[in-house]
Amino acid sequence: MNKPFRYKVNIFLFLLPALLLFVGVLIAPIIMSTVYSFTEWNGFTTPEFIGFKNYVELFTSRSINIQRALKNAFLLAILSCCIQLPFALWLALRLSRPIKGKTAFLSIFFLPVLISTVVIGQLWLKIYNPDYGVLNVFLRSIGLDNLTRIWLGDKKTALGAAFVPILWQYVGYHMLLMYAGIKGVPVELTEAAMLDGCTQAQVSRYIIIPYIRPILRVSVIFAITGSLKSFDLIYVLTNGGPNHATEVPSTLMISMLFLRNRYGMGSTIAVMLIILCFAFALLINMLFKEEK
Amino acid sequence: MKKRLALLMALVMMFSLCCFSAPAAFADDEVTLTLWSIATESDSSHQAFVDGIAAFEAEHPGVKIEHVTTENEAYKTKIKAAMSSGEGLPDIFFTWGMGFLGEFVNAGRVYCVDDDYANYADELPEAMTVNVRYDGKMYGVPYTMSLVTLYANMDLLAQVGYDDIPATYEDMIDCCEALKAAGIIPFGVSGKELWCLSEYVEPLVIKSVGGQALRDMYNGEASWNNEGVVKAIEAFEGMVENEYFDPSAAALGNDEVKNNFIAGKYAFYQNGSWNNKDIGEQAQFNVKAGTFPVLDDSIPLYSMIGGPNNTLAVTESSQNKELAVEAAFFLAKFMSDADYKSGANLPCWAADPDAEVNDLIQAAADMASKAEDMVLFGDNFLSADAANTYLDYIGLAYAGDVTPTEYVEGLDADLG
Repeated sequence: MNKPFRYKVNIFLFLLPALLLFVGVLIAPIIMSTVYSFTEWNGFTTPEFIGFKNYVELFTSRSINIQRALKNAFLLAILSCCIQLPFALWLALRLSRPIKGKTAFLSIFFLPVLISTVVIGQLWLKIYNPDYGVLNVFLRSIGLDNLTRIWLGDKKTALGAAFVPILWQYVGYHMLLMYAGIKGVPVELTEAAMLDGCTQAQVSRYIIIPYIRPILRVSVIFAITGSLKSFDLIYVLTNGGPNHATEVPSTLMISMLFLRNRYGMGSTIAVMLIILCFAFALLINMLFKEEK
Repeated sequence: MKKRLALLMALVMMFSLCCFSAPAAFADDEVTLTLWSIATESDSSHQAFVDGIAAFEAEHPGVKIEHVTTENEAYKTKIKAAMSSGEGLPDIFFTWGMGFLGEFVNAGRVYCVDDDYANYADELPEAMTVNVRYDGKMYGVPYTMSLVTLYANMDLLAQVGYDDIPATYEDMIDCCEALKAAGIIPFGVSGKELWCLSEYVEPLVIKSVGGQALRDMYNGEASWNNEGVVKAIEAFEGMVENEYFDPSAAALGNDEVKNNFIAGKYAFYQNGSWNNKDIGEQAQFNVKAGTFPVLDDSIPLYSMIGGPNNTLAVTESSQNKELAVEAAFFLAKFMSDADYKSGANLPCWAADPDAEVNDLIQAAADMASKAEDMVLFGDNFLSADAANTYLDYIGLAYAGDVTPTEYVEGLDADLG
């Protein structure tokens, strides 16, 4: 056997376990979901091929109302990009400067990422409780009784109330990513700028932020795809209610799969989510490339 | 030396193999049946299951029942997933009748116990098996029945001059107004769990249109666009608008609401009779169980929502079907008796007439005996998809997002 060929066989053999894992865990389920999305299947009987009927029903059915779920997910994505990421960047910039107790601050801001989402959900359920929740108790104590609400039970406030813990939980995650990026900025660059008379804000604006653009791109991709896939906290806090006001595509998918036994429709929502996440990841990459 | 060492190692290995295989040889004589249920340790039926299993094992030496419990909502997901794949199914499983069990029966996963029923027909009346029959064949063994029950805090009612549960709808409205004026919340309900809202809507509907009409609507044999249903939804939306329900209801789960009632926060709490034990044992006030008044005087007062629904069924894949069926009937009979005596729920099997039971279960038993018609809970009656659409509409009515006319038209359009 000639050497280059043996080399390729070795490479293939070493890559094979990872390839099998990748295909088994990621590609095969996507293919299976795509196949099921073209069927009417209640999970028990034989799936019946129905073509694109599930896709048509998904976007036309009033009772499924995927438009509302998508609108909520996009709103969360916008809030993540406009509030969560700028706040995380601000924290990362502040903490990258020499300040007292930096490690403690980093740990505190990162702590919510480490705590189980169910625990966070329970914590915020208590905060929002209309009777004894900290929020309403505080409002009453300062005489703002008229501002007290049934935060998670009122259609007008439930969505916002459910989004706050989601945004809060992942600020630390993005902050740490950006902090690591900022620490990679060569000190000579920032020092030279300071010597030339730049303010701290100018250094951040013209040197640090452009330098960590690849990190920012990753953060934006994570924030947007994470918003589209958001599930756990919504499930714990409202389970999509009241009256589907906080429904997101993932909660709708779970409802179709496990409450309504509509495995075909649940798979259709899963496929739609996969396509959306890929599309947004590509779009964000393109946008960042253009700017470059 | 090496040979001796190798021989020693081989002997050690042989010995360990013998050690591990010996119990397996003994285990061949023992049969283990697996039972899945929702009777977790906090469930009021948990002890009855434990005692029933112990009694069956004592009567059948060499048979062991492994009882695996899962919380209610998680259980639904678990059993559906197992039924879907057909893998790892237990021998016996807890289920609800009609739509829930029906999907498993249609998939051929449930063993038909029709032939075995003949041995127990004297003790388990046929009327109690209606919700587990599909094409006339029996696929499960019911053990308890539940009724929607109106629990009343008589101490709070006394404060506004009532010494009994209002008997007419007009009286009930007057009572609610009096309670409100006294700063007492009339009704406790969870707006977060839609099935709890259905415990208010369904009695209103049945007491407005009658049992047969409601059954026909569930079966798709009659239109929801019925004057009586519109009237019932108007009454329900009126109760919401007039703030007869806890204003925090939308954010509360059923357990919180039940605890609030037990703590004396509401005058009434309408839910299944499975709450008899908790309320009877924990409430520190004079509590009474009754039924909501009728909306239409031509409908009998005891037109009830509920029926036999807690059931044990045997899987088609069980390796010990005969034994599993025997265990299912034994446990169902035991549970029926134990749950009745402990006050947890009403029996499906012939009950001991001399049994001493608490006042609430006695009241529920009286209502069941007076019942002129009984229709199962809508979310049990309908298939999973239809049940969730139906509950969605109830949620919309609670939120005031649909008018009563839109409600009936929507159900007609979406349920067919």
